[in-house]
Amino acid sequence: MKRLTSSLKNMVLSLTLIALVAAALLALINSVTQEPIKAIKEKNQSDGIKSVLRIDAAEEVSVKETDVDGYTLFAVTRADGSYAGTAVRSTDKAGFGGDIVVLVGFANDGEILGYQVMEHAETPGLGARAGEWFRTASASTEKKVGGFSKAFFGNPDPAGNHNIVGMNPAASKLSVSKDGGDVDAITASTITSRAFLRAVQNAYNVFRGQQADAATSATSQP
Amino acid sequence: MNNLKVFLNGLIKENPTFVLLLGMCPTLGTTSSAINGMSMGLATTFVLVCSNVVISLLRNLIPDKVHIPAYIVVIASFVTALQMLMQAFLPDLYATLGLFIPLIVVNCIILGRAEAFAAKHGPGASFFDGLGMGLGFTMALTVLGALRELLGTGSIFGLTVLPASTNMLVFVLAPGAFITLGFLIALFNLVKK
Repeated sequence: MKRLTSSLKNMVLSLTLIALVAAALLALINSVTQEPIKAIKEKNQSDGIKSVLRIDAAEEVSVKETDVDGYTLFAVTRADGSYAGTAVRSTDKAGFGGDIVVLVGFANDGEILGYQVMEHAETPGLGARAGEWFRTASASTEKKVGGFSKAFFGNPDPAGNHNIVGMNPAASKLSVSKDGGDVDAITASTITSRAFLRAVQNAYNVFRGQQADAATSATSQP
Repeated sequence: MNNLKVFLNGLIKENPTFVLLLGMCPTLGTTSSAINGMSMGLATTFVLVCSNVVISLLRNLIPDKVHIPAYIVVIASFVTALQMLMQAFLPDLYATLGLFIPLIVVNCIILGRAEAFAAKHGPGASFFDGLGMGLGFTMALTVLGALRELLGTGSIFGLTVLPASTNMLVFVLAPGAFITLGFLIALFNLVKK
């Protein structure tokens, strides 16, 4: 068969046909995958809330969702009616690769119970380590490198504290030690670390603000 | 041309990464670890094989003047399909690789093979060309990723094999990608001779 000539009719027809078939196929695949994708997102969210509040994944809890200027708060109550804590979904727009979305769990007194990085586009091997870095205790001994090799190759695990789990933002300063805070930044990823800690601090502020609101409305409406 | 020859041509003789130097952006960007490199390679292989076969089947129905837009529609459709299927059925892989999937559309290996091979050959040969080129790309990315991971973080496929004191952070970063790739190309050319 000879190739079709490039007449206007042929060009319009072949492009239209190809685009139509492609659109139909994609619509079909979309309809098949839509449900599983939605289910996965919801499961990730509910698993995330439980994990940052240190609740067993199998436990039944009721979650009350509130939106406050771009932050989402999930107040979690256990089956027996006791308050388990609040998870706050917080976004910082100034990560090294754009938005960083974290979910932070707070106890009633503001102590950080856990966190999870939900979405990020940080450098693999560097900023992307935020998911682990801020909940692991530091290596006790500093790697013995200095001078040129330290400047060139970096120092993957300096001594110092970078575990924010168990900290209470009311008592500790949530910023990197370079800025006078209490948390060590990820080596070679200060921008990621700053954005991450800002997201956690903002989550805390929103959580506290909401607690204060709840207290006033509770007293004004006996 | 026989199919085995076409396949080996893509895998070794005209290896897209080491010989043709195509698709450098994903090559350098995604190979910070062996598993990332391999997954990116396999995802590209899937799209390359599908688009090669379909474009080869359609090659006489597409007038010359609109062949590039037509190829792009075909390639973009496969990439979108792959992205949705991965998101739905392989969520863990999608979480690590999701960012790079849309970039496959503009990977010049795919458009390059559509243009240079699939548009002139039958679907059978195009299938083997896509497979050879795709696996050649996968091999290159896996080797590059494994080396960078080993030198940068002391592990291969996530298994730690070297103590932390030998880690050289620079290999995980962009300069390390260029340095490693340069040495690998030199080595590949030496072995090929």
